[in-house]
Amino acid sequence: MVVGNDHEAGAEVHPIELVLARLLRLGSLIAAALLAVGIALMAMGMTVVAPKLITAGLLVLLGTPVMRVVAASIIFTKERDWHFAFFSIVVLCAMAAGIYFGKGD
Amino acid sequence: MVITFILVFVLGILAGVVGAILGLGGGIIIVPALTLGFDMPMRTAVAASTVCIIATSTGAAVAFLRDRLTNTRVAIWLEMGTATGALTGALVAAWVNQRLLFILFGVLLAYSAYNMFRTRKEEHKEEVIPDAISQRLKLKGSYYDKALGRRIDYQVSRTIPGLIIMYFSGAAAGLLGIGAGIFKVPAMDQVMGMPFKASSATSNFMIGVTAASGAVVYFARGDVKPLVAGPVVLGVLIGAIVGARLMVHMKASKIRLFFMPILAYTALEMIYKGVKWW
Repeated sequence: MVVGNDHEAGAEVHPIELVLARLLRLGSLIAAALLAVGIALMAMGMTVVAPKLITAGLLVLLGTPVMRVVAASIIFTKERDWHFAFFSIVVLCAMAAGIYFGKGD
Repeated sequence: MVITFILVFVLGILAGVVGAILGLGGGIIIVPALTLGFDMPMRTAVAASTVCIIATSTGAAVAFLRDRLTNTRVAIWLEMGTATGALTGALVAAWVNQRLLFILFGVLLAYSAYNMFRTRKEEHKEEVIPDAISQRLKLKGSYYDKALGRRIDYQVSRTIPGLIIMYFSGAAAGLLGIGAGIFKVPAMDQVMGMPFKASSATSNFMIGVTAASGAVVYFARGDVKPLVAGPVVLGVLIGAIVGARLMVHMKASKIRLFFMPILAYTALEMIYKGVKWW
């Protein structure tokens, strides 16, 4: 009976959601901090450093979706969920190809 | 300049809240506001809006993942469609008739607006019979609906049609530069039989991935202007975090009520864009 309960709990807890939530929260906090400091410095007239900080913030934010697909592929591989590990890799390849061909024109 | 910063920042918050609740990117608000309201060039506005889509997605995802509204398995499955679709769209953009596509997708959206209007009163769906692939891939989910005060269990259906629609929705985003989330929510809600709130949260999760490739390209071209994108993106990020917290407490029927006019408006706008040069 205890085993049955454990099994049910195991089916309900999806660690992938919590891992991704943590990753995305970290990404958005770093991005928000860089953007906020950058904008504050810009308002204070520091026009040399400020745009660089803002750009850094935007780049961190840009990295979060990519990181989360990478993280998902690692988690699915670890769980030996080969279907979904493969799907994640298809998504990553399509993203990479999109960037490659987009830069072409 | 500080005034512009503040206005753009407030605009971002608004777009973030709306985007997070509805599962959209918020480009529908940001692009016209930046071009018409602040006299910015289209390229700058579209580039800023693309980064905003990522901000909405990332900002809102934290709350949605915690509440189990986001279905990561469904998201990864459908992202295969959106990502390859966006790639195809970008590759064939030079050879297709954009006007015809605007009309076609506009009509499609109008139909889904009508469909949503027809089912507006439903708080949850009738029994959905999952197909074989959905069962094999375990495309199911369960979350506690804070607005209804009970647990919702579901399993999606019509897995392949869903994937095909996502492919075309990705292609539309690549070809027309609009429609990040507006096709995704109805596809999951109406075609795959997913609960509306789960559809919106999962769409929200997915739009960041579709936008990321485009955003990298805009960055490389130098279209992302830090002084424009910075304040609006920060606003969207904060707005999305707030919006996601509001959304988990809202009833699906109420969210639909907000979604429908936007759907209808986008449909009309797309059809108009398609016919205006004729």
